[in-house]
Amino acid sequence: MTEEKKPEERKKRRTATEAASKVGPMVKAALKENLRAKEEGRPIAYSFIFSGYDEIIRAMDIVPAWTENYAGVCGVKRDAQRFLEKAESENFSRSLCTYALCGLGFDSWREELGEMPPDPPWGGQARPTVMLGSGQIICDPRYKWYQAVQHYMPDVPVYVGGLPYPPYEDDYDYRDVQDYYVKYIVEELRDLVAFLEKHTDRKMDWDRLAEAVDISDRTWNMISEAYDLRKAVPCPMGTGDAMNTMVPMTFMMGTQEAYDFFKDLYDELKIKIANKEGVIPDEKYRLLWGGGLPSWFALTDFNYFNSKGAVFPAEVTYRLVEPVYELDLPKVSDPLEHLAWRWVKYWSYRHDKARKRPGSNPDVERLIEYIEDYKIDGVVMHEAFSCRSWHPGLIWQLNQLKRVYRDIPSLILESDIVDISSYNEADTRARIDAFIDTLEAVKSQ
Amino acid sequence: MKSQYFAGVDIGSTMTKVVIMDQATITSVIGPTGPEHRKLANRVMEEALAKANLSFDEITYVVATGYGRINVPFADKQITEISCHARGVGHLLPAARTVIDIGGQDSKGIKLKDGRAVDFVMNDKCAAGTGRFLEVTAEELGVSLEDMGRLSLEAKNRVEISNTCTVFAAQEVVARLSEGVALPDILAGLHEAIATRIYGMVRRLKIEREVALTGGGAKNIGLVKAMEAKLGFPALLPPEPLLTGAIGAALLGKDIVREAAEKGETLKVSERRLTEASIFT
Repeated sequence: MTEEKKPEERKKRRTATEAASKVGPMVKAALKENLRAKEEGRPIAYSFIFSGYDEIIRAMDIVPAWTENYAGVCGVKRDAQRFLEKAESENFSRSLCTYALCGLGFDSWREELGEMPPDPPWGGQARPTVMLGSGQIICDPRYKWYQAVQHYMPDVPVYVGGLPYPPYEDDYDYRDVQDYYVKYIVEELRDLVAFLEKHTDRKMDWDRLAEAVDISDRTWNMISEAYDLRKAVPCPMGTGDAMNTMVPMTFMMGTQEAYDFFKDLYDELKIKIANKEGVIPDEKYRLLWGGGLPSWFALTDFNYFNSKGAVFPAEVTYRLVEPVYELDLPKVSDPLEHLAWRWVKYWSYRHDKARKRPGSNPDVERLIEYIEDYKIDGVVMHEAFSCRSWHPGLIWQLNQLKRVYRDIPSLILESDIVDISSYNEADTRARIDAFIDTLEAVKSQ
Repeated sequence: MKSQYFAGVDIGSTMTKVVIMDQATITSVIGPTGPEHRKLANRVMEEALAKANLSFDEITYVVATGYGRINVPFADKQITEISCHARGVGHLLPAARTVIDIGGQDSKGIKLKDGRAVDFVMNDKCAAGTGRFLEVTAEELGVSLEDMGRLSLEAKNRVEISNTCTVFAAQEVVARLSEGVALPDILAGLHEAIATRIYGMVRRLKIEREVALTGGGAKNIGLVKAMEAKLGFPALLPPEPLLTGAIGAALLGKDIVREAAEKGETLKVSERRLTEASIFT
């Protein structure tokens, strides 16, 4: 495959917080660390965010390689097209998840060459020791992607787990079944530990696991408290920055570094609030990013919203924690059991609320809660064409929100997470302009 | 008291429209946008001023709208077409609660409340579901755009045409012609295809009666009938469907001037000089 001319990198997005501006170098450092681990022969695990495996990986001193993140990096660098095209040349469909497609293109190319593809973004993605699939959130690439990659790396074992949680139904109480889920999850996590012990040279250090679980609990609380500060008017941090701060939340969970990052963010937001320093000086509209992954190559659209007087004090995307002290977790000594309870309780957190509002569900309740807590004027969602598992639900949530709550202005953006050919800046911004007009019209009524 | 005049300039992908109003529309001009004319909104404006027997200095406020609104250097303000269409339809057809605008490059649905847009949907990604769909297929069929709608009403046995892609639909049209399918039957299929696409999009808004059809698509009787069949009731049509955006722009200009006067504010207006858009040079 010939090397193509790389597109010019875009101007960096303006961040509102110091913390968010530190994230780029953190991602770069993590990718470097993967390459160093490879050189030193330390085990590397291809992993998905929010699988529930973080603390186990950390406690076993295995280096996680976040493949979704690397595809996102390629997107941010506007350098994903050549990997998408490589995957297409391998006969993968362009309508697959473009994170997976980008990863498949990258990995197949790296395996073909026996070295990194030419000039890979931020040094490239190291060849893994194991791959940890996870199928619990109805996202097929989270298990099929690694199975497909295995065609190019048949020697790399794949573990496909998936932590279940009680589905929401309005006519039953999840507490009736939660024990079964917890037992299942504990068994599954034990299997994961056994798999990792078998395929890497690492043994589980159970004391270290307990420490990692404790630090991640405290990180969950710290994130919740820091993000709660965004309720302030003017809002000190927007969703654009949260698309950066998702990095320590999702890629570093179970580490002191993640806790310290959010403690620093908390302190920074406190100071901004005391100084009445908002994302923008003249805040006119407060918006909720109601779901959908962002277009990583177009994060400057958040700045465009800002230029129109709009801020995003809250987002559903990548807010993957709740305050642990509100989850009503039983005290248990086995850290795996604690992880299982936290998982089940996290996913059941708004079940009771939803049951009180006919036609609602926990996702709709979350939208309502954020709209009220963060004084939201409108909801923006993103239909990324290649993220098939999320979008049917998104549209339903928006419709139900308007049905069971109120007819709040909404905007659905259409593009992709990685595939820039789906994006038209002029049209996107024309839609944003029109949305701002409708917000103004509704506000003035 | 000296009369005040307001101008609305709507630069669409296909047509440029200018309206000059005082209490009502006193003149309007519709000209092609086209590659050469794209930068020449000033000429359409000059024509409108000549028709109205006014000098540009006599215009109190100019609002530009449409996808080319930034190409109007002499405008005092740019306002989105969603707001301008809403204002225009609210003025012309006060009973309307939903607007379906079928333009050359995009189509949109707008929900109205008190004459203002409170929600909208747009198709700007794909030519299927816009006027471009009919333009492309008209060319394949050798029929003028003006005749397409009327001819489609003569259909006896409408054929199914794909509504997912303009290019595929054009190929399908050629195949149907070679099969010997009658032209009106193909045209009826095309109008059905575009109406299905637009209706599917606008339904996201929860369509409320009355529904106004605007834009070039509303001048096509075949498309109007196909849309009405989808809606299940007759649509409202403005006297000149191409002008609702420009009329709305002029009215919004009038609103801005009135509000400023009420607040005792002085409005900043552009120099009254009709220049070409310089961004193309």
